[in-house]
Amino acid sequence: MTDVELDTGAVQLRASHLSRDFTTRVPGRFVRAKRVTHAVEDVSLELVAGRVLAVVGESGSGKSVLARMLARIVTPTSGELELRGTPIAPKAKRDLAYAAMVQLVLQDPFASINPVHRIRHSLERPLLIHGADRARVGELARSVLERVSLDPSDRFLDRYPHELSGGQLQRVSIARALCVKPQVLLADEPISMLDVSVRLGILNLLKGLCDDENLAVLYITHDIASARYLADETIVMYAGQVVERSVGTALVDEPTHPYTQLLIASVPDPSDPTSIAPRAATAGPMDSSVTGCRFAPRCPHASARCLAESPPVFEIGPGHHSRCWLHEGNRVATPVLTTRRGKGGPTTT
Amino acid sequence: MSATIPREHEPTEVVDVATSAVATGVARHEPVLEIEGFSVDYGAGASMVRAVDEVTLRLDRSRVLGIAGESGSGKSTLVYAMTRLLRAPGLISGGRVLLHTTDDDGVVTPVNLVEASESELRKVRWSHVSIVLQSALSALNPVLRIGREFDEVLKTHRKDMTKAQRRARAVELLRLVGLTEDRLDRYPHELSGGQRQRVMIAVALALDPELVIMDEPTTALDVVTQREIISELATLRARFGFAMIFITHDLSLLVELADEIAVMYAGSIVERAGARELYEAPRHPYTLGLLHSFPPLHGERRELTGIPGSPPDLADPPAGCRFAPRCTFAMARCLTERPTLREFGDEGRSVACWLFDPASASRVPVELSLAPSARQTVGEP
Repeated sequence: MTDVELDTGAVQLRASHLSRDFTTRVPGRFVRAKRVTHAVEDVSLELVAGRVLAVVGESGSGKSVLARMLARIVTPTSGELELRGTPIAPKAKRDLAYAAMVQLVLQDPFASINPVHRIRHSLERPLLIHGADRARVGELARSVLERVSLDPSDRFLDRYPHELSGGQLQRVSIARALCVKPQVLLADEPISMLDVSVRLGILNLLKGLCDDENLAVLYITHDIASARYLADETIVMYAGQVVERSVGTALVDEPTHPYTQLLIASVPDPSDPTSIAPRAATAGPMDSSVTGCRFAPRCPHASARCLAESPPVFEIGPGHHSRCWLHEGNRVATPVLTTRRGKGGPTTT
Repeated sequence: MSATIPREHEPTEVVDVATSAVATGVARHEPVLEIEGFSVDYGAGASMVRAVDEVTLRLDRSRVLGIAGESGSGKSTLVYAMTRLLRAPGLISGGRVLLHTTDDDGVVTPVNLVEASESELRKVRWSHVSIVLQSALSALNPVLRIGREFDEVLKTHRKDMTKAQRRARAVELLRLVGLTEDRLDRYPHELSGGQRQRVMIAVALALDPELVIMDEPTTALDVVTQREIISELATLRARFGFAMIFITHDLSLLVELADEIAVMYAGSIVERAGARELYEAPRHPYTLGLLHSFPPLHGERRELTGIPGSPPDLADPPAGCRFAPRCTFAMARCLTERPTLREFGDEGRSVACWLFDPASASRVPVELSLAPSARQTVGEP
């Protein structure tokens, strides 16, 4: 980290109004209709050095498409990206310089690391591609393995992926991303495929990289409790839209959007054995036919207005925003709904 | 809830006569399933891996037994082998699995599933024990409509039913799990993951079995869908009174759902206790570690450590306690001698850990000696 100055609090990657549509053809008897699915709609975020931004959502909420747009693997339909203050031309091809700054860690380490090559190969290849000195790559690969706590690194370099456990492989996957000294790490569900007992190790590793090496981390998850554990800022996505966002743990401690409340109430909570089961219909459509709030078909508080008009984002409190008509008029955090969990309830440990 | 099997249910051979004179629906403490010294190997000879090692479990009627464990802990192998669904190179190498089947007249017949013939198994499967697998997409035949899944089960086991009756029963079952009749004419790919899993549950309940085995039924689902299915299962169980084995890696889910929990690690059960007791006062260091592995949803944010290291390779398991290399309380003895699951205290729970061996002079660490704050007495006299 000698060639890049430590710059705490600097915005490394800024995304403004990112959207991505996917067009599918609907086979009909005479005409083929087109249907547009809004996978991600108007998402703006900033990834800041030394901070973790968590994106929480269920499958199909668009969170992975968002990560791929930030990594520039998927081209946005509209919206801008800005890397360290420099705008990225929207249609430009992803270049090495961008890849060196922004790295993506995928969900399944068993699928994302080439099984026919030794770990050494997976780590040295990005170094060589990014122009590292061939004589030094072995040493660099060893040092990066030590950074992810795979010790002794020599033992791991000459192993094949099948010889490692899931947790160790995910560490290799993070090490591979760190090889090129990125400023931004995008982690797409990095723990969901791992055993429960090693998940915290990976979360703590991400936290450590963020704190000690000043990385900007995007943490994508469906597990809101882990987002609360790790994140400095949290975004909840539903059907391609950001429905609630907050700085710190406000969103989990005092959720204001009905979807966030449903999400939190659904998490198994051993400290509360008398949990109430929320009733909810299946996810609503995400195509252009939807006019109102996308959560309205599942929402217990939906009114006629919710079905007709899409709600804008209201500010609930400092750094806390919610996309719900219930919060119209910038009213500050009146808990319209109470979750089954009181604030500051008993801890589980 | 003891590990030992009561005398009156200890048949030296499988008998046809009823061993229990108690009328159905009265005794809660009647066992529905007794597993004793059950072991499963993969392969043979030098490359043999023991995936399930001397497991002993007992499940009473209408109760929920949760089995918690990580991948590779042997939890799925246990239920596959127990229901004789395991294929080669998996091999049952010892033990007994007694399923106490009740017929229409209330006569209880224990069947040893390990020694049962194919035709005996066919009678037991689905009528008395059914299984719901993790991936409903691969469990349902992709080229058959949903209705056929019901039809085949009913056709095989209820030969006297007419086509119209089978259809009516299928509709009834779908309603039970909150699906509409039109789903019967759909193909699996037309349903969402949650709907497919609901269909699987409905098919499993088709013949009103006494025991339903759920192998990670909600792992592939969203947390909201998971919650819906769990609450539906609770309702169905209250209504039909089947016993359930629920397998998952999510211990916090089990604490809510199960009456009793068995924690598996590297092929054997390391701790067994009532759900609340296990949660409030874990005894095995691995259970403690697992409970500390879930970030809480409330309270102050603080650093959690999880469990260092990773699960052992069963082809080359550590000598002594298999958890010892990862255990913060490991003693010299743990590295050489393997602890067995033994009864512990008067709480009717058992643990496989040298810390609780009365013969050793070790002091139990404070983290593992908590008293359960509110003892649950469900099922206890």
